[in-house]
Amino acid sequence: MARSRLYSIIVIASLAGFAWITYLHTREYRDNEPTLCMIKNITSIPCPSCGSSRSVMLIMDGNYLAALKTNPLGFLISFLLLVCPAWVLVDMVMKRSSFLRFYHAMESVLRIKWVTILMITFVAANWIWNIMKGI
Amino acid sequence: MEAQKVDFFMMTNAKYFEGQYLMWLREQLLQLDDSRWPEVQSQQFKDPTTLLIVSLLGGNLGIDRFMLGDTGIGIAKLLTCGGLGIWSIIDWFMIMPATREKNLTTMQRIFSGTTYGPLSTV
Repeated sequence: MARSRLYSIIVIASLAGFAWITYLHTREYRDNEPTLCMIKNITSIPCPSCGSSRSVMLIMDGNYLAALKTNPLGFLISFLLLVCPAWVLVDMVMKRSSFLRFYHAMESVLRIKWVTILMITFVAANWIWNIMKGI
Repeated sequence: MEAQKVDFFMMTNAKYFEGQYLMWLREQLLQLDDSRWPEVQSQQFKDPTTLLIVSLLGGNLGIDRFMLGDTGIGIAKLLTCGGLGIWSIIDWFMIMPATREKNLTTMQRIFSGTTYGPLSTV
């Protein structure tokens, strides 16, 4: 993937993520949150990452255990949302491509068979847990 | 390569590529050495229509992007319920051009002589 394309995707996605979290934070009632997830809206069955916005909000409140119980993926998303845009911006200012190299390296790591199997197992387990919790 | 072989290849595989690159592709294939024919012939291209079906059904989980080999973007879509549902709708329209672009990259790799077999589809 080209550098400019990847970096613009990261910047736009991060901005959308920050906007979404800001919007959720300014709402008065937290318990009745809107969902944009098509799977949940159509089938009423949650998807593997349903509840991750709530998880991110709980992390921001410092309630880590509740966040873990809501959706463990919230931690990964919070981490990526903090690190990726900062890294990309530094790269853009310094005119380097270190994030691009890291991205390609991560992609080839994820294509290793047992890493892929591990990841699929984790996501599937999280999905089953989500359905059981009725999130 | 012989024009007959090239035309045969073009007829069989034209649907895998963007229309504007077909003439360029033909020129490049005609210039290619005859010994590379088995390599060209054995390439497996991804079908844009199949990817569209996968995108419509499993786009929210990023499965279309995983199939295309864009693992990073696939994970991004998976983690965010298909980019808050918006990205998956964008991808319904973007996945077919993206597939054709990926196929063109495969061909470019042959032309530059750095091919290492068909790309994995995982």
